[in-house]
Amino acid sequence: MLLHTLNRPPTSQVLAQALAGMGPDDKLLLIEDGVIGALPAHRERFGRVAGRLYALQEDLESRGLLSLRDEAVRVVDVGGFISMTETSERTVSWY
Amino acid sequence: MASTEIYRYLLVSSQDIPLDPEGYLVNMNEWSTDVCERLAEEEGIALTVDHWEVIHVLRDFYDRFEQAPAMRPLVKAVGQALGPDKGRSIYLMKLFPGSPAKVGARLAGLPKPANCL
Amino acid sequence: MQDTASPAELMVILRHAPHGSSWLKEGLDVALVAAAFDRRVTLLFMGEGITALLEGQQAGPLGQKGTAPTLAMLEMYDIDNLLVEQRGMDELGLTSDQLMLPVRGVGDAEISRLVASHVLVLNF
Repeated sequence: MLLHTLNRPPTSQVLAQALAGMGPDDKLLLIEDGVIGALPAHRERFGRVAGRLYALQEDLESRGLLSLRDEAVRVVDVGGFISMTETSERTVSWY
Repeated sequence: MASTEIYRYLLVSSQDIPLDPEGYLVNMNEWSTDVCERLAEEEGIALTVDHWEVIHVLRDFYDRFEQAPAMRPLVKAVGQALGPDKGRSIYLMKLFPGSPAKVGARLAGLPKPANCL
Repeated sequence: MQDTASPAELMVILRHAPHGSSWLKEGLDVALVAAAFDRRVTLLFMGEGITALLEGQQAGPLGQKGTAPTLAMLEMYDIDNLLVEQRGMDELGLTSDQLMLPVRGVGDAEISRLVASHVLVLNF
């Protein structure tokens, strides 16, 4: 299992690149501008990684998005992020 | 990488040729066979036909790719141009002891090769 | 010569167009350093990075070196596994005969396999 991080908004073509690079068990963690993708309006764009989509709590909070996020998106804080990198074989950054 | 810092001068037929701190030409277009001879003297190398043909391979590489080669591509380029007997690192080490890619680039008037220890 | 059956080690993904930023150059530099140290390198061009392969490129303003000579040099470093994202090619309306090097188009399924199978993947 690889952990992929995305720091670009969901309208960026980088999302498609990240999804192309993801295997069936890989997880996607939204960070920085990427957390805009946690809004319910963007749910369909992440259909391929449903259940494997995470967003960084600190970045959601700083943008006022924590309460607006899609409930299906799992929230992790920085500590959780670190644990995820530890349990993943490798981390691949998409930016 | 090419440096523009002048550290010292090489006197070649009453002309001062600026060199950077590592002894590479500051201005590539000041290279000449005379300059090459003087640089070789500094390295303690007496240039032979074998040296010159490798120096021409180096200059040709730079013309094509705008970079001086690291060792691996230098070996390959020499092999392509001069035949498999010469496209070997041992052969190049004998001609340009130490680091053939670096010493060769210096004598050929090229910038120091990047991607090379 | 390297054994083509040995596992590929490094994949460098190039996603940025030439001239606009230094990402492309930096990615190519990493690939060259790795190859100079005998690592097997796969290059994958995605999205706008594919435009780096277009024929007829020039130096930038003020004589800044372009990336085309570096791409032409890849074979001297034995970097010959050159892949392009097929979807990116389609989005740009390009075909492989418009590119300066022989490349192989790959779809999403293969890209994810490549990301998983390389020892190291670096995104540029």
